[in-house]
Amino acid sequence: MRSKPLLILLSAVAAFTAAAQDDFTAQALESHFERVVPAICQVLFTQEVTDPRTGETVRRNGDCLGLIVRKDGLVMAQGHLSVENSAPVDLRVRVGRGGAEKEYPAALLHKPNDVNVVFLQAQSDTPLNLPCVTFSPQPLRVGEPVAVVGLAGETLDFEPAVFTDRVAAVITQPRTTYCLSNNLRFGCITGPVINTRGAVVGVSGIDLSRAEGGELYTRSGHPLMYQAELFQKYIDNPPAREESKKAEDTAWLGVFTQPLKNEYAEYWGLEKTGGLIVSTVVPDSPAAKAGVQSGDIIKAFDGKPQKFTQDRDVLAFTKLVRDTGTGKTVPMDLLRDGKPLTVQVTLATLPRSAQEAAEFEDAVLGLSVREITRDVRIALNIAEDVRGVIIRKVKSGGTAQIGKMRPGVIILALGDYPVTGIADFQQAMTKLRETKPAELAVFARVGPQTGFFRLKPKW
Amino acid sequence: MMHLKKGISLRRAAAAWAVCAVLLPTGCATVLGGQDGPVIRAKERVAPALVHIRPVKEVFAGGKKTEMLAVGSGFIISPDGYVVTNEHVAGESSSVQCVLSDHREVNAKVVGTDADTDIAVLKLDTTEKMPWVKMGRSANLQAGQTVLALGSPHGLARSVSKGIVSVTDRYLGDEGQMISPFNDWIQTDAAINPGNSGGPLVNIRGEVVGVNARILNGAESVGFAIPIDTAREVVEAIIRDGRVHRSWIGVTFQEMMAKTDDPSHLGVVISDVERLAPAGEAGVKPGDVLVAINGKAVNARFEEELPAVRKSVADLPVGSTAELSVKRGEEKVDISVKTEEKTAQKGSQAEFGEWGFTATDVTPEIARRAQLPERTGVLVSGANPGGIAARAGLQEGDILLTVDGQKVNDLDGFKALYKERRESQKKLIMLFVQRGALTRFVLVNAAPEAAQPEEENAGHAE
Repeated sequence: MRSKPLLILLSAVAAFTAAAQDDFTAQALESHFERVVPAICQVLFTQEVTDPRTGETVRRNGDCLGLIVRKDGLVMAQGHLSVENSAPVDLRVRVGRGGAEKEYPAALLHKPNDVNVVFLQAQSDTPLNLPCVTFSPQPLRVGEPVAVVGLAGETLDFEPAVFTDRVAAVITQPRTTYCLSNNLRFGCITGPVINTRGAVVGVSGIDLSRAEGGELYTRSGHPLMYQAELFQKYIDNPPAREESKKAEDTAWLGVFTQPLKNEYAEYWGLEKTGGLIVSTVVPDSPAAKAGVQSGDIIKAFDGKPQKFTQDRDVLAFTKLVRDTGTGKTVPMDLLRDGKPLTVQVTLATLPRSAQEAAEFEDAVLGLSVREITRDVRIALNIAEDVRGVIIRKVKSGGTAQIGKMRPGVIILALGDYPVTGIADFQQAMTKLRETKPAELAVFARVGPQTGFFRLKPKW
Repeated sequence: MMHLKKGISLRRAAAAWAVCAVLLPTGCATVLGGQDGPVIRAKERVAPALVHIRPVKEVFAGGKKTEMLAVGSGFIISPDGYVVTNEHVAGESSSVQCVLSDHREVNAKVVGTDADTDIAVLKLDTTEKMPWVKMGRSANLQAGQTVLALGSPHGLARSVSKGIVSVTDRYLGDEGQMISPFNDWIQTDAAINPGNSGGPLVNIRGEVVGVNARILNGAESVGFAIPIDTAREVVEAIIRDGRVHRSWIGVTFQEMMAKTDDPSHLGVVISDVERLAPAGEAGVKPGDVLVAINGKAVNARFEEELPAVRKSVADLPVGSTAELSVKRGEEKVDISVKTEEKTAQKGSQAEFGEWGFTATDVTPEIARRAQLPERTGVLVSGANPGGIAARAGLQEGDILLTVDGQKVNDLDGFKALYKERRESQKKLIMLFVQRGALTRFVLVNAAPEAAQPEEENAGHAE
């Protein structure tokens, strides 16, 4: 037992010396490159992108780098393949090169919410035995050289390429985050990152996951490295197929928060020990039901102190809530007007997003509508009392388009039938199909204004 | 309710002409047509009273108040020097200079403006007897009849163009800031350009039949003038009261065609009912069909008829009780509504220089867009990126609801709260704002920066 600290110390010194002296030699680079290239594949897909404001959907073809991480065909790719309001369809994985390419259909697995990558499972009738990379988690230091292997662009036939880079920054809060110093070429995203000792320590990426404040990082413009510790668990236990994803997985409190910066604490005469200011309470949310009010300061959640003073920190709170579990009742310690107060909140399921919204297409009217999900309600500032369905698509030249209806319009009534959701809409259409009125007055909301559209359906 | 017409106000373009004037061809020299006697006579009747207007406008942009020279047109309507122009020319101006047809420069003061019709009245600062125009009747206009447009296209004063009336009652829906609910427009192919705004549209007898105000962006030979019958009433009200008083009940109308093309259905559709407004509180519901006001039938089968219906509500005496006859399905309902005074379309605006932002009053339209439960707060119209408000996180579009927990009722209310905090030199001020669907705390640190005066002193000590 006594010799253990000494052993660690020595190895750290040894590593330091090796890294400090060594940049990559051409020979070393070549050898690392040759070793990981067989595990690099190409992911081909068609992406369906929905504009949350208008509901309009466009399809486009794309490709990106994939990294085979298990020989049975588990492939890791950049998280942007599956973002809000966009879904990849017709996914394929192209493995091998130089005339020996093989293409497999692939299934998207449920996207992790703590690292901005997705996993795909290549499909085959016979068990696969593909070349894959094995990660060796090792911490990196600022300034340390690394190599990133990626794919050149389409005009260069997606040839594999190796790039050298350096660790530009190591951020420690709320979790260890490595920034790289060069601009990451598109074909290198999710490419393996190799240190001077030849260990594949992680993959490159362009931002954090959304739950971690990915948008903040996109703005920062720094390429990142996702260290293997973040995703090894998903390689060992791959997530479920996307189809079977259950929203119940993700717990929801229903508050928007700001960190209690020292200046804010000073203003309210509070200790400068951090916390979260509740800036907005979502109506009908678990927080609202527990009586949480805007202006309350969260000091602890489920017994865990919340000591936030930075804008970015609030995302760690989001993650904490999400991981706590749907249906769980937990104590939340608040300060209201400076006085301590504890409330019990029962976490609910994260409301469905626009991407997962129930949808219905009506051929007679030439439109498809979907329920107004919580995210759309917030994005478009739709009042709570507005109940209806939102138009996602109108068919070019169809009844709705001729009647000047367009995506984003919220339908509140079809003729005399009020519409508060998809079910109402379907029922109303069933009844209207029986009576076949020559003209149909649709009561709708466009932005803040309500009004009528007169349609002439061809029954 | 969907109007995709892309009218553009001549104001913005007029403001821009000063910058790009050198690039524009000065090709007005082809007006030689001495043959056309009636046209020349018509022009001669109006030209002496034509005014080239150069207002210095207060512009709030980027969180700062700046002043900018604009250019427009106008015409003198009385020997004592009243001038009619557009609200978008003379509104929000700190001073107005007029250049008369004989090149004399005369200052003018703004008597009053009406954004709802885009009319403004100026009074020339002179005791001399002025030449003036004769106002005709726009009700008698017919499509096809010859008209002249006089004014300062692209700043080129004393320009005359000729065309015909294309349509007498063009309806233009709301387009951005251009909201003229009471206007049907005279559409003409007489050349109208930025700078023509406020100038007269004249018939062949030399009578003013319209006030040129808009063009259609990207189109040619499509200009719009406010009918003089509409303008005359507004001008009289402004000269009499300084502004137009209108009644408001808080409903939006839509033409009957929006619900049915069956011509036997008379009335006008009530398409929207505002919260906390007289009509809504009296029980009027969206979808009701209004058939009569105080026993007088109202009809708008087509959108061109909507301005007249809106006007019939606006013309009710403020604070009076109006009897609305409404059809709700097959049922007939009578509803009594007490009218309120319609608030100004444009909220007043102010600069808060020390904090580096500008704010405007919350108009009913802004309140509705922001889904505010009531008309409260002030709208941040701009935040100077280098200012302390922006540093604290205040953004354009925020609605400022409270200051240190005290409710902000309106711009005057905020001015008072701001002044108190400036005078007491309070260091930290907490603002609570609405941003879209969310609310947020914004802490302003108004403490003077210690380093700044030091640096200034160092600069002086050479």
